[in-house]
Amino acid sequence: MKYNLELIKNKRKIIGFSTVLILLSILGILYSTFNTSYKKPINLGMDFVGGNELRIERVCEEECSNLSPDSVLENLKEISKNKNVLNNIKLQFQNNNKLISIRTPYLSIEESNNIITNLDNIIGPLNYESKDSRLIGPKLGKRLLTNCVTSLLVSLFSISLYITIRFDKKYALFALLALFHDLLIVFGIFSWLGVILSVEVNSLFAVSLLTIAGYSVNDTVVIFDRIRENLKSKKEGYNDTIQLSVNESFRRTIFTSITTLIPLLSIILFGSYSLFWFSFALSLGIIVGSYSSILLAPSLLLKD
Amino acid sequence: MKRRQGWLFFIIFLLTFSFYLLINYPLQLGLDLQGGSQLTLQIIKEEGKVTKDELEAVNSVIDRRVNNLGVSESNLQTLGGDQLILELPGEQNPIVASRVLGKTALLEFRTQKEGTSKDLKILQLQRLNIKEIIKQYSSSEKSQFDDNFLKILQDDLNDIEQELNYSSTSNDLYGKLIEIKKHVDKEITNLFIKTDLSGKDLINAGRRQEQTNSNWEVLLTFSNSGGEKFAEITKSIAGTNQLLAIILDGESISEASVGSQFANTGITGGSATISGNFSAENARELEVQLKGGSLPLPIEIVETNTIGALLGSKNILKSLYAAISGLIFVGIFMIFNYRILGFVSVISLVLYGFFNLALYSLIPVTLTLPGISGLILSIGMAVDANILIFERIREELYDGNTLTRSIDSGFQRANSSIVDGHITTLLSCFVLFLLGTNFVKGFAATLGIGVLISLFTSLNCSKTILRFFTTYQSLRQKNLYLSRNNFSN
Repeated sequence: MKYNLELIKNKRKIIGFSTVLILLSILGILYSTFNTSYKKPINLGMDFVGGNELRIERVCEEECSNLSPDSVLENLKEISKNKNVLNNIKLQFQNNNKLISIRTPYLSIEESNNIITNLDNIIGPLNYESKDSRLIGPKLGKRLLTNCVTSLLVSLFSISLYITIRFDKKYALFALLALFHDLLIVFGIFSWLGVILSVEVNSLFAVSLLTIAGYSVNDTVVIFDRIRENLKSKKEGYNDTIQLSVNESFRRTIFTSITTLIPLLSIILFGSYSLFWFSFALSLGIIVGSYSSILLAPSLLLKD
Repeated sequence: MKRRQGWLFFIIFLLTFSFYLLINYPLQLGLDLQGGSQLTLQIIKEEGKVTKDELEAVNSVIDRRVNNLGVSESNLQTLGGDQLILELPGEQNPIVASRVLGKTALLEFRTQKEGTSKDLKILQLQRLNIKEIIKQYSSSEKSQFDDNFLKILQDDLNDIEQELNYSSTSNDLYGKLIEIKKHVDKEITNLFIKTDLSGKDLINAGRRQEQTNSNWEVLLTFSNSGGEKFAEITKSIAGTNQLLAIILDGESISEASVGSQFANTGITGGSATISGNFSAENARELEVQLKGGSLPLPIEIVETNTIGALLGSKNILKSLYAAISGLIFVGIFMIFNYRILGFVSVISLVLYGFFNLALYSLIPVTLTLPGISGLILSIGMAVDANILIFERIREELYDGNTLTRSIDSGFQRANSSIVDGHITTLLSCFVLFLLGTNFVKGFAATLGIGVLISLFTSLNCSKTILRFFTTYQSLRQKNLYLSRNNFSN
């Protein structure tokens, strides 16, 4: 089965499509920075701003009864002694009312435990074996954020350096363009997700961006390698050789994406909830990454 | 051919060794998989960086306190130069640990300034009042918690504020109570002068129940020089109306007079007791803190993660489902598309899995949720190398080359792309491992190890297995190596 992607004909469409995606991402980032309550390019989660996250399951005989979060919060306020603790508290029921999830600003571990004890009195019994509690101080949050941003910059820099040494300037430039295109779009999608669904990003999001970076460059490198090899040996014109090389490596890129997406989908479907958005970000990155390595990066190489 | 056979034996040897490792050295599970608590302690230093010596000193104090607390299988390690991570596996209460570890436990012995008896009496009375209000506030039941009750407490508090000539800034009652108590403690401490006797002069601490009531007291045992200092200090104030205060982290926990009978020698014997209405729990916590010594720098608990044991085992199960279903579906995909080559890649994937796990138990790598996701993700990357090679082999076959030749040059020509791709991923892993938090490090470690092992399994194991297969005549038909679609055109 031969593939025949008409790269030369569709160059404008491809570049246009990518430009639209990038503009939409930038729009999301700007909207998120200026038009939301958190005023950040992306909705930073607890890892970065500090806070307290509690998840605990109720023990129910059959189905868990329906409860309104507001009335539970009211009860909680009534029996809590230190009312300050309950400022900005968010309470949700998930999983057929079985799972209670609570978010508050940073608390001491005692205060956090008091909330659970009080909650046990209101809607207990609770299953302490299923408790998942995370407390992160604001100082640590800031530090984690700087840490993540530095990691991202350092590894982007080292990847760029490697590519520049390894390839000609032109190839390196376009491979990096494709890389930033992928990262920007994934970032933009999460900006929008933050705006629309209040999805928050934590340190695993930074990890996923880094992994996407490695993956995206890898994909582009494979295609560029093929183009270089063919330019040396084939007699067709420059543009035709590029198109041919892309078609030759098309199967490989798609197959690789599929075999990487399969395990990620498994995590999304069967894995722990804490890995859900992480796998989602990675999957997005892989899809965008394969698009940019098959279509965008080679199109940029084409001569008019 | 001989060299390949050598490789085959080597691979079989590695596999046996992996089994041996996995059976004898079981994998270490992180807290998110076995349940437990993790505390991150941040060393606070106003100016400059925390030095290595300071980190060591804090580490050893915390280590002693943890040991004296009697928690089992705890694990303390330093992180990034100014943090410590304490792991408490299982259902151990992190609250006590956080209370005991978080305090500086700076113990001071101070003598009262002359002519401050009256001031001290007033402050002591107010301290008693405020403690009483706090006690009422915290022990009251919900039913009593009406507006009337709160108003009484509030009025009492206002009286105290007036008496002290101090106005608190907190908005709520509880915040006010804590604030005023701090203020009183500070005022009391200010009435006393520092001496050169401190917690450093202790060689031991203990506790016992008082004989007259159910309260506990904490026993201090001084070193030789500490005992001399203590005698000297008690001698200087014996028989006067100046008191000796024992101050812990700026809060006076005991004020006592020294009888005139000690005026000549001071209190000798090298020991002292603090009897400040301790509960059994409080006495034990103070004992642990004093035994461990005071922290050279204050610390703050900046992160606490607690995961229930049930949730941990659920996480293991979920990760297993994800990993196994991922492997199976990738396997089906490969066999469907690459037929016999796909089968080869499945075998090398299984080898890949075992080698990874064996290396985790050898190094050892503690498996966490992000770690497992790194492993699962690296499955995809390991297959990628196989796909690159197989595509090349097929191209060679289309060009009419013999099977052996195609396999050889397929591996050879895919080599550079594979190495490039692996290097960029390794770069990311390396940076993540250097700069990341504990949580992130787990991911970087497993992904990095996976990428390295996949270089070996995809380049070497796949080749060896493929060569082994092709020694059988029946497995040498070209159409077994091409997909159905390809074969038909």
